[in-house]
Amino acid sequence: MAGAPGGGTVLSEKMLAARFAEVVLPHLGDALSLARWLTGNQADAEDVVQEACLKAHAGIAGFAGGNPRAWLLTIVRNASYTWMAKNRPRSIVAVGDLTDLDDVSPPPDSDADSPEAALVAKANSAAVEAAIAKLPQAFRETLVLRDINGLSYREIAAMLGVPQGTVMSRLARARALLMKELGGRHHEPA
Amino acid sequence: MSPHENRPREDGLPQDPQDMKLMIHALVDGELDAAAALAVERRMAADPALAAEHARLVALRGAVASVPRPTVSDDFLARIAAIAEVKDAEDTAEPPAAKAAPLPSAQPRGQVIAMQPRAARWYNSFDWRQMAASIVLTAFLASGATQWLATADNGSDSFAVAVANGHRRSLLAATPVDIVSSDRHTVKPWLDGRIGVSPPAPDMAKDGYALLGGRVEVIGDRPMPALVYRHHEHLITLVAEPRQNEAKSVPVADNLSAGGFLQVHWTDDAFSYWAISDAERPALDDFVARFRAAIIANPAAGGPG
Repeated sequence: MAGAPGGGTVLSEKMLAARFAEVVLPHLGDALSLARWLTGNQADAEDVVQEACLKAHAGIAGFAGGNPRAWLLTIVRNASYTWMAKNRPRSIVAVGDLTDLDDVSPPPDSDADSPEAALVAKANSAAVEAAIAKLPQAFRETLVLRDINGLSYREIAAMLGVPQGTVMSRLARARALLMKELGGRHHEPA
Repeated sequence: MSPHENRPREDGLPQDPQDMKLMIHALVDGELDAAAALAVERRMAADPALAAEHARLVALRGAVASVPRPTVSDDFLARIAAIAEVKDAEDTAEPPAAKAAPLPSAQPRGQVIAMQPRAARWYNSFDWRQMAASIVLTAFLASGATQWLATADNGSDSFAVAVANGHRRSLLAATPVDIVSSDRHTVKPWLDGRIGVSPPAPDMAKDGYALLGGRVEVIGDRPMPALVYRHHEHLITLVAEPRQNEAKSVPVADNLSAGGFLQVHWTDDAFSYWAISDAERPALDDFVARFRAAIIANPAAGGPG
């Protein structure tokens, strides 16, 4: 017992560095993806992720197991919004309370209005990117966390601080909007 | 409509069509357990609209997955890795710049123009790659070293920890011994029969250290005999490791501690001994002294049988 505390502090520096390498470095791709979709471009994403990694490093001792990707992405998400608030205050819309957005949005389209699977599958990746970029922030965020970062409903709900049902409905709406966009229905003149 | 449509469903799925759609999403997302997934698949089989929705979602997922991911460039990875290893980054960043400086004067003037940007770029990328490599290597070594320290360290420390763990386990177990006997003539043959080796097992009840019995400890892949003595309320586990040629001799008892227990380590003729207890240090030292004296006084106790 007596020898433990001294040895512990000497080791902890190394252990924290090793943990950083284990927890953070493997998920940089996901971190960049999320930041890219939240901020809108790749160059900003790198700045945001670097900022997030500084925070992650400072807080690595607080990582208590669980999904390291979800942990890092939570920090990246926060860093993204902090960055946006600082650098693009105008583009940020209602980050705090999104319930009104959930209420106002139209429910998922009826089947008759949805395109065929083949049409969706044919969409090229540039079109998909454009469609994702057009999604309202809350929907885009949920869709990216699920379909690009591969987090579970539960992890997303915990990260966004919303019930799992809200995650499911946002995801359904995001996908319905994407399908509508990719199904080749050009309702809007633009 | 089939008659089944009118029967109340008993598959536990929502009746509301919008909620049912969410279940299709959940199925595509792998969020359903086997029972729910089976129920949703049955509904899909009965309802073409649901099946079509499912097909669309799968197609959409494929389309989203086809969106190119940002790549983690070498220099970005290096930048991030440098966060954890700030000192290393500064050290490796300096030398290439110093080397690059004398280059122009050494080259004929005509070539300098052509060479310099390329050389600079080469140094630049080399610099980052080297930094990334060194950082990744450092991280690897650091994690490796941590593990090495935790598991292997030097032999005696990990042995001491293993002895401590065995002792702790024995305190938690229903009985600290596998063979209960205060008689060395019972304990030694039992150990001999189990693992082919038995240490001296003097009974020192008159000194206040009663032999309770013995058990087998497995330390580092090797089974080893362990004797258990009781001293007042404390148990003392004595692990006897048969000495190997390369094992260093510790003729003078070496006081250690591991896992919150006091330990004493020493070697006699054929065995390397590890005594461990939650007793006070003087009591443990006294035990060791008396044990060693008993073996010398009565070598028969150490002989076979």
